[in-house]
Amino acid sequence: MKTIVQQEVKLKPLEKKLPFKFYWKKVLKTGIITWIGLLLIWTVAAHFSDPQFLPSPLATLRGAIELGSDGSLFIYMAYSLVRVLIGWLLGNIVAIPLGLFIGSNKTVRELVEPVINFVRFIPPLAFITLFMLWFGIGEQSKIFLIMYATFFVVTINTLTGVLSISEDKIRSAKSMGATDFQVLRYVVIPAAIPFIFTGAKLAMGSSFMAIIGAEMVAANEGVGFMIWNARLYFQTDWIFVGLVVLGLMGFSMDRLFAWAGRKFLKRYSIVS
Amino acid sequence: MTMVQTDAPNIVLKGLSKSFSENPDQGSYVLENVDLTINRGEFYILLGPSGCGKSTLLNILAGFIEKSSGELTIQSQSAAKEENRGFVFQSADSALFPWLTVEENVEFGLKMKKVATAKRKEIANHYIKLAGLSGHNQKFPKEISGGMKQRVQLARVLANDPQILLMDEPFGALDAMTRRTMQKELIRIWTETNKTVIFVTHDIQEALMLGQRIGIMSVGPSSKIIQSYQIDMPYPRELTSPDFNEYYKVVQSHFD
Repeated sequence: MKTIVQQEVKLKPLEKKLPFKFYWKKVLKTGIITWIGLLLIWTVAAHFSDPQFLPSPLATLRGAIELGSDGSLFIYMAYSLVRVLIGWLLGNIVAIPLGLFIGSNKTVRELVEPVINFVRFIPPLAFITLFMLWFGIGEQSKIFLIMYATFFVVTINTLTGVLSISEDKIRSAKSMGATDFQVLRYVVIPAAIPFIFTGAKLAMGSSFMAIIGAEMVAANEGVGFMIWNARLYFQTDWIFVGLVVLGLMGFSMDRLFAWAGRKFLKRYSIVS
Repeated sequence: MTMVQTDAPNIVLKGLSKSFSENPDQGSYVLENVDLTINRGEFYILLGPSGCGKSTLLNILAGFIEKSSGELTIQSQSAAKEENRGFVFQSADSALFPWLTVEENVEFGLKMKKVATAKRKEIANHYIKLAGLSGHNQKFPKEISGGMKQRVQLARVLANDPQILLMDEPFGALDAMTRRTMQKELIRIWTETNKTVIFVTHDIQEALMLGQRIGIMSVGPSSKIIQSYQIDMPYPRELTSPDFNEYYKVVQSHFD
């Protein structure tokens, strides 16, 4: 008994140390330290190099204000964002039902899978010229390109979701009187939702990649165009503005999507 | 004349065989020439070592897989094919729907049959209470323990009012104490609902705690029921009683 009491006394000073560690962990979690560190390294590196080669964070901010003052930056952002959203949405609308269909039908799966696994390794950027030839240099070719970028990720994830449903779930639903359609609606789709969600999230990333490529090659507006155009005027700071803006756009879309998932799809245990 | 159906045969198997290969020849059978008659309201145990095909037999009874040859007759009032059989799976995690609450899981079958919401709630609540899950209606499966999950499975199946309960080692993954409680609960529910129960296990003690009759299956391949024992002990059964020990010795002798 005595030893136990002694141990308790010994433990007390340890508890006092906790708060600092606790706050430190909290600050670390926000990522602020990482960002401050990164900005510092950037500033120091820029200080020792030509602004045409590596503009400082401050110069980039000035560039952003310059581009923002006539509104062109925001118009470019809106163009890229709308293109991504439309293409991504349409891509999901096509890919999710198709993934469900391929996943639930063995014959179709065996027919389609080799093709899918071949085509999905062709990056969207490789299709830019072809899509321009087919759909013109207008919005259509860009939307199609993003649909393409979305399509395979979402289809394959949905399909994997359907295939990973335990046989027991389907059997139990059927033995409780569910029809084939009810099994799809009440078992297959809910069980596949976490996979579909992850697929859609990943597709958002590849959509951004595709749109910037397309805008660099053939567009008169958009963030990709802005980055590509900056090279003509040696405006390296504009390029950096473009990069930062892309990061911010992707980051906020991703966070928004994850938040919506947590809020509306909580019961499906989505991973975000 | 009134018909008392307690002893009428409910399930009859004659020379039932199962092979998973497409061209069955000698030796490739999982089950060979299984003969079995189970009466209405009976608690029947299929006992055997793992890999003896007892789960396969249960899956055939459930209609999940096809028999290769032989006869299988299931007599019931309901004409519906699979709905008169309820299946309790070994793993509650793979069988329950994690995106539905306890109550929604129990209501599932009724919802599929388009039973009105109020009626559905009433029936579900009755079986939730029967399975000892009151107060957990709104919880999700991941929020409750393994034993409770099996209670949900049982309630979910019973809500469809099946005539036959097929149970595939449902308590196998539970700890010893929870398993004992669940065995007692199952006997209580069985007595209250009067279902025909076919229960698969590899645990002799569990078999003797639960079964009115125990069918012992031979080691596979080509398994069959080699011996059937009538267990004449009243419920609830005493693990430590001399009768229990006697039965235990007899049954154990098949596996030595």
